[in-house]
Amino acid sequence: MANVSGNAYGLSILSPIKNGRVLGAEIAFADLVRNRLQAWNNEINSPMALVPQTYLCRLYVLDDVVTESLPSGSLPDTWSDLLPVVPDSLRRDVMPVQDKLQSRYLVFCCNFYAGPSGTPDAYLRGMWEAINGRIHEIWDNCYGFDQVHNADNFITYMKKCQLTTSLFFNGSTDQPLEEQLKALYMKQEFTQFAIDNQGLSAATIRANYREFMQKTQINDLQHRTWQPGKYRL
Amino acid sequence: MTKELDLLDIQGHVLRAYGRFGYPKARYIFLTIRHGERAREFIAAVTSKVTTAVSWGNGPDDLPPPAWTVNIAFTYQGLKELGLPRASLIGFSPEFVEGMKHRKDILGDDGPSAPENWDPIWRENRETREKDVHIFIALNAAAPPPTETGLVGIQKSLVQCDAFLEQAHAWLRDEVTKSHGGIVILGGHRGDDGVLLDYQDVKVVMENGLPTAKEHFGYTDGIGDPVFDGVPYDEARVRGRGKQMADGSWAPLATGEFLLGHIDEAHEYPPAPRPILLARNGTYMVYRKLHENVASFDNYLKLEGKKYPGGEELLAAKFVGRWRDNGAPLVRAPDLASKQQFDQQFAVATPEEQDRMLSDFTYDDDMSGAKCPFSAHLRRINPRASLQMGREPGDLPGSLKTIKGAFDTPGALSNRRRILRRGLPYGDVKDRTKDNGNHGIIIMMLNADINRQFEFVQQQWINYGNDFKAGNDKEIMLGNHSADPRFASKAVLQVDPASEDVPYILSKIPRFVETRGGEYFFMPSLTALRMIARGVVDPT
Repeated sequence: MANVSGNAYGLSILSPIKNGRVLGAEIAFADLVRNRLQAWNNEINSPMALVPQTYLCRLYVLDDVVTESLPSGSLPDTWSDLLPVVPDSLRRDVMPVQDKLQSRYLVFCCNFYAGPSGTPDAYLRGMWEAINGRIHEIWDNCYGFDQVHNADNFITYMKKCQLTTSLFFNGSTDQPLEEQLKALYMKQEFTQFAIDNQGLSAATIRANYREFMQKTQINDLQHRTWQPGKYRL
Repeated sequence: MTKELDLLDIQGHVLRAYGRFGYPKARYIFLTIRHGERAREFIAAVTSKVTTAVSWGNGPDDLPPPAWTVNIAFTYQGLKELGLPRASLIGFSPEFVEGMKHRKDILGDDGPSAPENWDPIWRENRETREKDVHIFIALNAAAPPPTETGLVGIQKSLVQCDAFLEQAHAWLRDEVTKSHGGIVILGGHRGDDGVLLDYQDVKVVMENGLPTAKEHFGYTDGIGDPVFDGVPYDEARVRGRGKQMADGSWAPLATGEFLLGHIDEAHEYPPAPRPILLARNGTYMVYRKLHENVASFDNYLKLEGKKYPGGEELLAAKFVGRWRDNGAPLVRAPDLASKQQFDQQFAVATPEEQDRMLSDFTYDDDMSGAKCPFSAHLRRINPRASLQMGREPGDLPGSLKTIKGAFDTPGALSNRRRILRRGLPYGDVKDRTKDNGNHGIIIMMLNADINRQFEFVQQQWINYGNDFKAGNDKEIMLGNHSADPRFASKAVLQVDPASEDVPYILSKIPRFVETRGGEYFFMPSLTALRMIARGVVDPT
């Protein structure tokens, strides 16, 4: 099924950025968007780390499609080389025209936990509630975003910009984010446990293991876990 | 084998590890250029003595092995000072241009391995120009076959070797003098007791007055070396050294993996500077001085060896993938019992059979690492066909198997990461209870593409473990293990997943090896040397 892989959802959004320049400044809307996005690199963490259930996401400004330049050996080329009767004009006619986009686009690709619903609605609602100020800073520069004032019309807007996703980031399971973060934490802690308890007696390991389970609280997904967006020890 | 290479055009150092051919001692001298034209005259004089890769022997086209060998290589700065045209210079690889020191973040040369801790010659290289290393000259001295039996004969031979080495060095100093200051020998190599020398001294490790093939941790070294197309005296040694084929045979690797101007494993010519004659039959050389922390190694081995089921010597074998005493590969001798059997066979085998016992193996029957751990030195620096691993639902936990059909050949993931190794140990261990003596190895790695071969293996397979499903676990022996307890290194020694055994985890692995210097060099062909000397390199 498109966009869905188990409980994971792949969201691909292309929002056309307004043509022209920002009022009162010598910068294009698209360049302002790119500049703001690049400034996120200087923050402690990405604003997207505050959006619940985010696995991996990417934002960038798409300027234009890439031209493939001259094709090599298409059928009319080959026939034209072999048979003088095939006119050169036919060969020229079928050469591809250079494609161009009508606007520059803000591209937002995201893999997240959508659950059994298989829809992006809950995620987008969560995104709006967490960081709508930051969303405005970026998306206000796109066509039609002046209609967006709340979570509902944000969801409507995003669905209008949505493209079907078939490729997923493969570094994750499709569990809820809290479970994956807890799993990472448990894996780290358990590795250390294994090292520390190597070669000890069964009785000692059993006692230490009880302590380990007390300390790590495997069922508590809110505490003793990795924080979303954490990328270094 | 396809057409034989022009052996007389290739420097001997590229095709031969001289240590294996009866040259137990060497000196590596580094020089800087003060005057381009006189430097070229110096190069011309040296080139007339350069040792080629010609076959040694008694055949009609053979030459007898010389009393001492001469080989030469250049840094980027050196090629500039020699007056190579800019259009040729820009064709060398970016990493060669940049030099090894400035690539420390890629190579993991941090903490004790950082350039500020390097020997003065390497610390001062590429800082102020006056002390830039421009030229590398290797002088290897032969120990002639003993004319008397026993220890006496060997010792006399070694005395002769020392005499040859002094002769060679005297010749070089003489040529330098003739340049009237155009060429200067650089000092700053740390020797014993902090003394600074104007050469790097290397020699085989001696045990009871006899030369060994060991390094200072006690391992037999220099066994595996890639075999590639076009070298007639290597053909018979292809099993285990070339590339593994699907039908169980071994084929020589493509020449272009190790020599510029020849087709490589991707069926292309490797990127090379212009004109063709400058690059063809030449190669890149990575020179690294690696200090060995013998005390840390001994202490760690003792500490873990007490706990490790199988004991200290088996544990030492697990670090590297070979047993220390004779280099028996763990894949063939995974435990004490099979090692004893191996030793019995080895003792009565001919040299050729011994060679095959040491090199001819695959990891095909060890895909889960029970014999040779995933973080062992051998497996990380040359995984053979073992990277094409995976598991399917229902497989035993911890077990991996070869995934067939995903790649063109079994060795597809490692064939382009092979490296020729040259060099010898340096120094002596006078006190095994201390780390800070003068002892280690000089390793020179030859490859057609420094970044794709050496730097990749260093960064991805030695200092990182993801390709081995080992997260960021480093290679046990060479990894840049951290002393910071937050980032303590570990390595898992796998066991047979079907058995009741428990994997053993090595923790808080100390850094056994520290970088003390090095640089990237270009080792040209004889043709290129003559052209550089004559000043006729012209890329137009």
